[in-house]
Amino acid sequence: METIVKKRIKQVIKGDQDAYAEVVEMYKDKVFHVCFRMLGNRHEAEDIAQEAFLRAYVNITSFNIELKFSTWLYRIATNLCIDRIRKKKPDYYLDAEVAGTDGLNMYSQIASDSRLPEEEVQSLELQETIQREISKLPEKYRSVIVLKYIEELSLNEISEILNLPLGTVKTRIHRGREALRNQLRYL
Amino acid sequence: MKCQEEIVVYMHEYLDDEISAEQEKELREHLQQCPDCQTHFHELKRTIALVQSSSHIQAPSDFTASVMARLPKEKKKVGMQR
Repeated sequence: METIVKKRIKQVIKGDQDAYAEVVEMYKDKVFHVCFRMLGNRHEAEDIAQEAFLRAYVNITSFNIELKFSTWLYRIATNLCIDRIRKKKPDYYLDAEVAGTDGLNMYSQIASDSRLPEEEVQSLELQETIQREISKLPEKYRSVIVLKYIEELSLNEISEILNLPLGTVKTRIHRGREALRNQLRYL
Repeated sequence: MKCQEEIVVYMHEYLDDEISAEQEKELREHLQQCPDCQTHFHELKRTIALVQSSSHIQAPSDFTASVMARLPKEKKKVGMQR
């Protein structure tokens, strides 16, 4: 996959815009999935995922072709998600942690977006509950948990994507896991 | 008691595949005799299983077309001249 994508990127840099469609096709589900798990609703996830591909395109010449494209793309997408989450804060105080409740915040008060009809088939109450609990995690824990357990990336890759020292990634995963354990233990 | 603090650290190191053989042995021995830590460890593993069970989601079908439509126009021409 990385070899094909690099070939396509070289074509894009030469001005072949159509080659980029193939790049988007290859990564759209993964990027959309990360955004959905980070943001908790489809509409925003689509918006941010598109924005991520747009930014990647505009900045394609700054991508170091020796590195893994997916790492770079995930970095753009997670940064956009984190920005979006932080921007919500002053308006709705969504991320404000409730005093004395480690990791709990106002996300718990807000119902998830209404689902599309075709999704209803696969919609399980459990899935919604899990997503709601992931959305309750503070953003710094949410990003590492999503990258590790939903995208199944290595700790090293997560550290590269988030531009954080490996030790910080480990600590956040540990804390994120503990927070989720507390939230999910009675399920 | 080294229960909780150190043992919980071992649990996480175990879950990240970062535990040494010696500490893993210590963790196992401790879990065998400490029901509280056993529950804690079980809950952590269950949490991971729950998170991983969350279904895969696909991007909307018109996703690529929407992205392509939003790309800056001038570069498109260069591509089409070939």
